[in-house]
Amino acid sequence: MLFFSYFKDLVGQEVTVELKNDLAIRGTLHSVDQYLNIKLENTRVVDQDKYPHMLSVRNCFIRGSVVRYVQLPPDGVDVDLLHDAARREARGG
Amino acid sequence: MVAGLGEFTLRTGDGFGKPVLDESNGEELMHVQPSVAVVLGNRPVESPGTLYITSRKLIWLSDVDMAKGYAVDFLSISLHAVSRDPEAYSSPCIYTQIEVVEDEDDESDTESTEVLDLSKIREMRLVPSDSSQLDTLFDVFCEGAELNPEPVEEEEGESGHNWVFNADQMDVIGGVEEDAEWSISQSPTSVIGHSNGDEGLAQPMLELQINDQRFEDAEEMVHDSETKNH
Repeated sequence: MLFFSYFKDLVGQEVTVELKNDLAIRGTLHSVDQYLNIKLENTRVVDQDKYPHMLSVRNCFIRGSVVRYVQLPPDGVDVDLLHDAARREARGG
Repeated sequence: MVAGLGEFTLRTGDGFGKPVLDESNGEELMHVQPSVAVVLGNRPVESPGTLYITSRKLIWLSDVDMAKGYAVDFLSISLHAVSRDPEAYSSPCIYTQIEVVEDEDDESDTESTEVLDLSKIREMRLVPSDSSQLDTLFDVFCEGAELNPEPVEEEEGESGHNWVFNADQMDVIGGVEEDAEWSISQSPTSVIGHSNGDEGLAQPMLELQINDQRFEDAEEMVHDSETKNH
């Protein structure tokens, strides 16, 4: 549940979600759920030439299981905090 | 359960031609939207039809051809969105991407109009004639997706689905532990050696930290030397 908590704090920030099919979508993180399904607002496709059909959609829902990466704003990440929390979770603490 | 888009031809024989659902396995009809056209990939638009949204899948049935219908499980829908951009498609619609199982031997054009292999369709648009229904449809799609998470062995939080819209919303099941962990991590600058109340673990771990620097992550050593003086 670590990253569920983590993404909760990122709601409202700009993120880029890269899917396992290589599509990358940028948008404002609207909400996230326990399965890490992601809802984005004001989305636009990062590589528009590759995926012209999507272009800009107002809001989209991305299934958690198809996400490869979520690219975060650099100042939106406290790496040390995340390190420690992840280490604790790995220990089951 | 079919991976990807497939044909759906099972209709009730009562003359209404509704789709036959897998009710014994709990599949329920959530929403019906009449007057919906479907666009598979780059193929020409197909209409008129009716969209049925069940708790497991999307079903589109042609209103004129009783043998024509398509269905896709929510498990296979990678994303869905409301598309209002006329450059993307001429009419406002629900745009969906379907997860396709890659076939290594497949070299053919997946969007070929010659032989239609439904399982290779990656994009599907659903165009309601009443575009004011788009937001409702989007929400029902979200519901359907939420009802169909990846099948996992054990789930921790079963009691309901909790979307969080802002950072203040912390009242989630299973989130209680997480809150506690976040607030703890604010104070100690080095968490190694600090356990959540299990004091038996603390001593040996502290010793590890002091005596065995080789167990530290390489980058951590830099940070720790900076923060230890706090």
